[in-house]
Amino acid sequence: MAKWGMAVDLDRCTGCEACVTACHAENNIPTVGPEEADKGRTMHWLRIERYWEGDFPDVQLKFRPVLCQHCDNAPCEPVCPTYASYHTDEGLNAQVYNRCIGTRYCANACSYNVRVFNFFNPEWEKPLDLQLNPDVSVREVGVMEKCTFCVQRINDAKIDAKANNEDGLIVDGALQSACAQSCTAKALVFGDLEDPDSEVSRLSGSARGSKLLGELGTGPAVTYLQKESWYESGDR
Amino acid sequence: MDRRQFVKASAVTGASASLAACGNPEDQFIRFISDEILPAGLAVSRRSICPLCPAGCGVEVRVMEGDIDVVRDGVAGVVKTGLAKKLEGLPAHPVNQGKLCVRGQAAIQVTYHPDRIRGPLQRTGERGSGQFEPVSWDEAIGELSSRLGALAESGGQNGLRMITRPLRSQRGFLIREFLERFGAPPAVTFDIFGDEVLRDANFQSFGVRQLPTFDIASSRYLLSFGADILGTWNSPVSQNIGYGDMRQGRPGLRGKFVQVEPRMSQTGANADQWVPARPGTEGFLALGLARAIMAAGTRAPADAGRAGALIEGWSDGLDAYTAEEVETVTGVPSRTVEQLAREFAENLPAIAVIAGAPLAHTNGMFNALAVNALNALVGSVGAGRGVGFTPQPEGLEPVQRGERTIEQLANEILESPAGAAPPVQVLLVNDTNPVFGAPPAMRVADALSGVGYIVSFGSFLDETGNLADLILPDHSFLESLVDHVPESGGGRAMASAAQRAMRPLHDTRDMADVLLEVARSLDFDEPLEWETYEDLVQTRFDTLSPPEGFDSAWIAAQFGGFWVDQSPSSPQPDPPAADIVPRAYSAPQFDGSADEFRFHFLPYVSQSFLDGSLAHLPWLQELPDVVTTAMWSSWVEINPRTAEELGVVEGDLVEVRSAHGVIQAPALIFPGIAPDVLAMPLGQGHRNFTRYASGRGANPIEVLAPMRESETGELAWAATRVNIARIEGEGGLITLAGALREDEELSR
Amino acid sequence: MNLATDSRITADLLRPLLGTSGKYYVTVGLLGAVTLMGLVAWGYQMYYGIGLTGLNSPVFWGFYLINFVFWIGISHAGTLISAILRLIDAPWRRPVTRCAEAITAFALVIGGTLPLIHLGRPWLFFYLIPFPDGRGLWPNFRSPLMWDFFAINTYLLASTLFLFLPMIPDFALIRDRATGIRRTIYGALSVGWRGTPKQWHRLESAMQIMAIAIIPVAVSVHTIVSFDFAMAVVPMWHSTVFGPYFVAGAIFSGIAGLIIAMAILRRVLRLEQYLTALHFQKLGQLLLLMSLLWGYFVFSERLTIWYGNDNHEMPVFWATFTGEYAPFFWVMVACNFVLPLILLSNQKLRTISGCVVASCGVVLGMWLERFLIVVPSLSYRQLPYTWGSYMPGWPEIAVMVSTFAAMALLYTLFVKFIPIISIWEFKDGTHPGPEPRPIAEPRTLPARGAEAAGEAL
Ligand SMILES: Nc1nc2c(c(=O)[nH]1)N[C@H]1C(S)=C(S)[C@@H](COP(=O)(O)OP(=O)(O)OC[C@H]3O[C@@H](n4cnc5c(=O)[nH]c(N)nc54)[C@H](O)[C@@H]3O)O[C@H]1N2
Ligand code: SF4
Ligand code: SF4
Ligand code: SF4
Ligand code: SF4
Ligand code: SF4
Repeated sequence: MAKWGMAVDLDRCTGCEACVTACHAENNIPTVGPEEADKGRTMHWLRIERYWEGDFPDVQLKFRPVLCQHCDNAPCEPVCPTYASYHTDEGLNAQVYNRCIGTRYCANACSYNVRVFNFFNPEWEKPLDLQLNPDVSVREVGVMEKCTFCVQRINDAKIDAKANNEDGLIVDGALQSACAQSCTAKALVFGDLEDPDSEVSRLSGSARGSKLLGELGTGPAVTYLQKESWYESGDR
Repeated sequence: MDRRQFVKASAVTGASASLAACGNPEDQFIRFISDEILPAGLAVSRRSICPLCPAGCGVEVRVMEGDIDVVRDGVAGVVKTGLAKKLEGLPAHPVNQGKLCVRGQAAIQVTYHPDRIRGPLQRTGERGSGQFEPVSWDEAIGELSSRLGALAESGGQNGLRMITRPLRSQRGFLIREFLERFGAPPAVTFDIFGDEVLRDANFQSFGVRQLPTFDIASSRYLLSFGADILGTWNSPVSQNIGYGDMRQGRPGLRGKFVQVEPRMSQTGANADQWVPARPGTEGFLALGLARAIMAAGTRAPADAGRAGALIEGWSDGLDAYTAEEVETVTGVPSRTVEQLAREFAENLPAIAVIAGAPLAHTNGMFNALAVNALNALVGSVGAGRGVGFTPQPEGLEPVQRGERTIEQLANEILESPAGAAPPVQVLLVNDTNPVFGAPPAMRVADALSGVGYIVSFGSFLDETGNLADLILPDHSFLESLVDHVPESGGGRAMASAAQRAMRPLHDTRDMADVLLEVARSLDFDEPLEWETYEDLVQTRFDTLSPPEGFDSAWIAAQFGGFWVDQSPSSPQPDPPAADIVPRAYSAPQFDGSADEFRFHFLPYVSQSFLDGSLAHLPWLQELPDVVTTAMWSSWVEINPRTAEELGVVEGDLVEVRSAHGVIQAPALIFPGIAPDVLAMPLGQGHRNFTRYASGRGANPIEVLAPMRESETGELAWAATRVNIARIEGEGGLITLAGALREDEELSR
Repeated sequence: MNLATDSRITADLLRPLLGTSGKYYVTVGLLGAVTLMGLVAWGYQMYYGIGLTGLNSPVFWGFYLINFVFWIGISHAGTLISAILRLIDAPWRRPVTRCAEAITAFALVIGGTLPLIHLGRPWLFFYLIPFPDGRGLWPNFRSPLMWDFFAINTYLLASTLFLFLPMIPDFALIRDRATGIRRTIYGALSVGWRGTPKQWHRLESAMQIMAIAIIPVAVSVHTIVSFDFAMAVVPMWHSTVFGPYFVAGAIFSGIAGLIIAMAILRRVLRLEQYLTALHFQKLGQLLLLMSLLWGYFVFSERLTIWYGNDNHEMPVFWATFTGEYAPFFWVMVACNFVLPLILLSNQKLRTISGCVVASCGVVLGMWLERFLIVVPSLSYRQLPYTWGSYMPGWPEIAVMVSTFAAMALLYTLFVKFIPIISIWEFKDGTHPGPEPRPIAEPRTLPARGAEAAGEAL
């Protein structure tokens, strides 16, 4: 049984945002337009947080990609009255759109605020609808959604592995989330944390590794590798 | 009623119901024979090339079967065909190695855009009124041919001109051949934020008129002067890949990255050390480092060879560029200068990069030469070192740009005596938008209104297309055979080519095939020898004559998506014998006096829209700019202290005024910008560019002065001074982030 | 004159049921219209999408749930108070209990509707109802929203019963005076009441049992409402004090609501001799007590947060203390603490009008309290990048207004068909039989009360 996870190397991430649009393209995430965006209703499943530090000229800027952390102990799950937000045995925080009645409780409970809500029915002005990915369902008004760890790709890869690998297991690297696949600086690494030899396992064990808001005990499946300063590593 | 009656009744009602249904067309459901049969529900993978910037990343297109609405012989219905669903980087491609940038990921929306021009159009209203009516391709091409034919007969071949964006595909070659054989002057390439200064500088220093390719991954020190290497410049994806590995790809070794710029870019945000220098003094700083290095004795002036010799005073160690002098000129503390010099010399391979604003000053060429010399000094130039040049496949070298600039063309038109026949009778516009992209001072719009007949190949009605008399919409890149010769980003000579990934959605035609058809109808004395554009590309690839023979090269290219020269990479050409003219530093000149116009104005290429050509893609409009988190809007970046002093708060509507124009946009408080600099992203401010971009934000180009780089004559777009004032009205700034800072906020 | 006979009492208290003025129809019409407006707004919202509200990321909850908590709070006056008063058998309770219990029933109905209006897909609300569907899917009993669902329904059921039981003898009374269709209806409602000693005995013991049973239910209900917040790891929500804090606040606002309702009834139905200054005195004291309790909770809550200085909670703390939400905070403190302290702590000011003014303050203050619990915490969650704020949309305001109208409407209709003061209880437990007996000797109403009434008017 796999346990899906991700490592985010903050020392690699350049803030290029390829991941953000890749996620939109893969997961049929709508745009909401300027008026709605102004109200704070954009639908990005993945965002690059940026924080300023210091003042000119000694000023710094930090980037941090934030997506659903697929918490082992997810605050968003117990609060959902309909089991629309639930945990799969492979460690995914799954979202059953059909079950969601739109209480938005999960979105409050999620300390990472990565859940986005369909305040209106999404619009794809024809023929933009032709770009929709048939492997991913399109959500309707009143439904909560969020990063799924590209579960449709996981399922494809499983079927593929069943058919083509004698052991029926997914080879590390054969499966990539859309964001990791496009990540230009290879800052995002997705894979199976159960497989000790996988890239993501190796990175998650790094000395630079830490969990976002780890003190809350949510048990994220995403590990952030902290930025290094040059001199630390210069003479290692 | 009894059972029999009931059955009758229902039969009748049923029948009448179905009749009624046939009555109104929308209830009819016509399914035409599939255009393309694909395994239902399964994805097939095809190749393409991202067209959005010159990097030319290889694309893997995920194609699946789907229904599209079509009208066939006047009957509406649906038909099954293969549709592109997702673009990925082509894993084996030497430039982008399976990655795409944010723009490449959004490129699929170009094809499916709701405002794409769906067939040839002919102007009906006033020019610029934006009123067009559909025409058939035969009529459209006939119209163009007859006009060109008339020109040819009247011996007015000179009256045909073409404007195109710089092309690195064989379309560029075709355009050159077409114009040459017709007898018209070569095409004018327009790319306002182009890199000609750097190409010229590289030619001077290293004999290669080309953008460099950097081996960032194996370098230990990366010193960038204003170059947006991780965002938009040159070959961003390959540079990002290299950067990631430079940082964490080598256990125990992490390269240092220093960025020199007055406004913190997305690239600069990643720097270990960020050094704001006065605009236009970057070259002086570079020479300050060179001096310190030579003074330390680790390197001798001669090591820089020709590149050094181009700098006045180089051979005697650049005494003029002491750290103290550098501090007074550039504003960079002298100890920082010495520290950078030491580190740069000690951590080899070390790479210095210059691009963007530093080259867009009156002394841009000097700045470029200075950085080239610095690289040469520490021995970073050449194949296998930090700074190299991707060999160009022999026979496929892209067409060098025409010597005429858009401005010269505009002047020619405007200065032609009144009454006389306009010098430009027919103007062909390919994939470029000078009306939006050229500073008003160049008066491109006025000039175009003086052109006899304008033909656009554009897929969208933009500011330039709006002035056209005839629009012959091109396919999108996914719908046509694409090819590309990357200028940089790879180690070896290579060329990309790929068949179309899907059938055209609309009644469009490949610009290249249209040119070929027109050419046929004109019977040149020396006809174009290709039936179709595909023939042309094949014949051109034939000249590659790789060891394994043409066919495999062509097949490799179109099925693999690219072809790489496997023969040992050709040696760099020797520097030109042309005698060396040393340059002395000259302080940058600015338009507008410092007391009347307090601020340097720094327009920059936008992460989402580049020069504005991508502002029509909704995914990019709603992409939060990573540094400012702004969406769907324009903004003016202003230092917090300056803002306080001016009584401006975030979101206030401000007016940016130069001696040449004025624009309005919301203010955005930006901790990472020098107090005397205002910055603004390109891309918004389109008057006329699809439902998503029209009338949104402001275009910084409108305030730019027609300043020139003194040696090349390129537009010095960073040399304008402006003033700013708060004005009444809605700023309309839309940002995603709730807070600027984290630790400060939380430990309040 | 202060003398009242049983027949006079009966006459006074049944008057609203017998005659109907034109004013009455106008009032009902107006209130009905405003209530309808709320429903229309909800219809709009369902058709166009919940985006018509001002909700956004990060503030996913707003007016609907604020008013939900508010009305559930109001509901805590009635049943709880009257249950306690019944248990301690406070003699002055008699004219108060029914109008108190009625508030509970109506406030619960209104409050209970708001979470449905709040849903993104209200048409699927039945996913919350536990029933064995084809896929064997049940609602998630770990979700506080499910606890709400059950708690509120239980409380509604119990308090309706609690409201209904003591009505039976009055229904019988009306039945015996009514004719035609009315007689049939009230006959049915009085469930065969004959007033036999046995029935009286049963009624009394039933009331006793209900009074005891309802108290834990009431307490649990608002505790559970507080759990909707306290169970989430949201800054300044995740707190152990929330349970008792919410219960206290609920009773607090409930009493205020009751006082206001009583004052209105007193005026409109000319019940000066029944709802006297005495009752306001007593309830005023109770309100003062709750005000002090509320102040204590707020103090201890905010002190621990401030002292603990948790960097995720402090932004919310400061936002409400000195920041953008501070004005609301200080108005709340003034209304819930300062004002009651001034008006109710001293005999002279604790008049009927004094109590009413204080109560209005408390109702406003408690509404603000709920706003300050819901909105600031959501505005300032753990990651500063996601901070935001909130302005209600028009449907939220329309619905809020209509909830108040609905309350008034239900009450207006209620007093039309049911004596708002329990006649038999008021008659001091003298049990009217099947046929009204002539009263032996006239009794006087508590004189002091009457004088007080005199003063106050
Ligand atoms: N995602 C998904 N796709 C599936 C399946 C699935 O399980 N999931 N199942 C597959 C299977 S097994 C099947 S059989 C197909 C069924 O696929 P379809 O044959 O498309 O089935 P329907 O959509 O039920 O019926 C088609 C149309 O017939 C119309 N119709 C109904 N009665 C009549 C009539 O008397 N006369 C005429 N002319 N039209 C009528 C209906 O209104 C409807 O518009 O779907 C297949 N596709
Ligand atoms: S990050 Fe948020 S949404 Fe994702 S699992 Fe954790 S709590 Fe749930
Ligand atoms: S919004 Fe949907 S997923 Fe979230 S808690 Fe409510 S029902 Fe569950
Ligand atoms: S894993 Fe998939 S769904 Fe999640 S952010 Fe990345 S691309 Fe989006
Ligand atoms: S794609 Fe990778 S490098 Fe670019 S922003 Fe996303 S995580 Fe960072
Ligand atoms: S860098 Fe981005 S825009 Fe340029 S070609 Fe590559 S993917 Fe396309």
